[in-house]
Amino acid sequence: MTRAAHAAEQERLRVDWTRCDGHGLCAALLPDRITQDEWGYPIVHRDAVAAGELAGARRAVAACPALALRLTRGDER
Amino acid sequence: MTAVLTPRTNADRATWSIGAPRLLAGLDTRAALDLRAHAGVHGPLPQPDLPRLLALLDDSRLTGRGGAGFPLAAKLRALRSGAHRVIVNGSESEPASGKDRVLLRRSPHLVLDGAVIVAAALGARHVDVGVHDAAAATALRRAAAERTGDGAVTVRVVQTAPGFVGGEARALVRGLDGKPQLPPGRRELPTGRGVVVSNAETFAQVAVLVRMGARRFAESGTSAEPGTTLMTLGGAVQRPGVVEVPIGVPLGIVLDAAGAPPLQAVIAGGYHGSWLPADPALRLSRAGLKEAGGTFGAGVLLAVDQHTCALGELARVAGWLAGESSGQCGPCLFGLPALARDVQALAAGHARALPEAMRHAQVVSGRGACSHPDGAVGFVTSGLRLLRTEIEAHLAGGCGRPVRRLLPLGTAA
Repeated sequence: MTRAAHAAEQERLRVDWTRCDGHGLCAALLPDRITQDEWGYPIVHRDAVAAGELAGARRAVAACPALALRLTRGDER
Repeated sequence: MTAVLTPRTNADRATWSIGAPRLLAGLDTRAALDLRAHAGVHGPLPQPDLPRLLALLDDSRLTGRGGAGFPLAAKLRALRSGAHRVIVNGSESEPASGKDRVLLRRSPHLVLDGAVIVAAALGARHVDVGVHDAAAATALRRAAAERTGDGAVTVRVVQTAPGFVGGEARALVRGLDGKPQLPPGRRELPTGRGVVVSNAETFAQVAVLVRMGARRFAESGTSAEPGTTLMTLGGAVQRPGVVEVPIGVPLGIVLDAAGAPPLQAVIAGGYHGSWLPADPALRLSRAGLKEAGGTFGAGVLLAVDQHTCALGELARVAGWLAGESSGQCGPCLFGLPALARDVQALAAGHARALPEAMRHAQVVSGRGACSHPDGAVGFVTSGLRLLRTEIEAHLAGGCGRPVRRLLPLGTAA
């Protein structure tokens, strides 16, 4: 697979800002990649999710009470 | 030497041009062009088929004039197959901008010509024009009722909700479809739903292009960006208004023609644009502005003279931008007011407010459904970077100049 094709296939964490209410579960579940700003909204420091990290990322997506956290591929948002 | 500085947001603006006007043709002697006058000034309207239209758009490199500058040909090619709709974005929710209102109120047929050409080439039956200026809506409805040669294409004029963010293309499409007029949270391009949405001036440019042909069209402008562009000129100039200029004209020529005093700065690209030094050699094109670290945006140019408190002006606009958040996205809803308070505190002489402003700017960046937070942050940080001497004066007790309310705010009627 070319590097570009790999990048397009890469799963990434995305926040739908119109849904996010800053509950903070994502930051609690993924403290190494998500912190909260002074109003409680998530700051995603590293959005690319490697294969070995998928289970944890999916758990955080499922935990979001506002359905605002998503895993997407390529340039989807 | 100083001009009397009155914010102008509601009045019909004066128009003038550098070089022969195309979009503004006929408006030097007439208040507005009805169908008969329009035909007299602009001549008969050719109806190119889609391949011919695409060739004209390719050859003229025509880009959207609402701010993003996306090539219109690429937009038409990106349409999914099936039924198509054409939407004219006449929202013009930037208070410093008046160019679309001038076109829609005074030369509505030129805009409708372009929209109907695109619709007919695509086989689309409907053109929707979204405007929130009442006078523009009236002029458009009157114009639509006058038209007889549009074949199967019908024109609907819809008065949309005001608000800076409501004028964003995807928000407008949702508003016209009866949903809340707000940007969607997920990536959702109108072309993916068979919708062509572009700024009012873009369609007027199409109407000019099909009549002139690409070669004559390119006799004005630069080779990369042929043609003319409308700009809205405001701030400390003796002749503010909507002007038509060849793309790439040097800033100094426009400022001289407008009667500008010596300046502290110019603001290019409106309130999602940037503060720049008033370099007379700056080329007013997308490429020229980009090279200078700014954006052309929708062609707003504001002159900031040496008799107003520039930091105070920046703080006013920062507060306005914060108030224009649609409130959908937390970082924008809370971050832009925090940023505005920082700029206020800086103007009041608090040194710690500068690093706080830069920190808040960074926190907000890239964290919204639309470009409002990023555009607002770019505007504020470009001002903070440019106004170093002014900021030092404020930290040392004040710049001694009043805030003249030079930069127009508020929703234009």
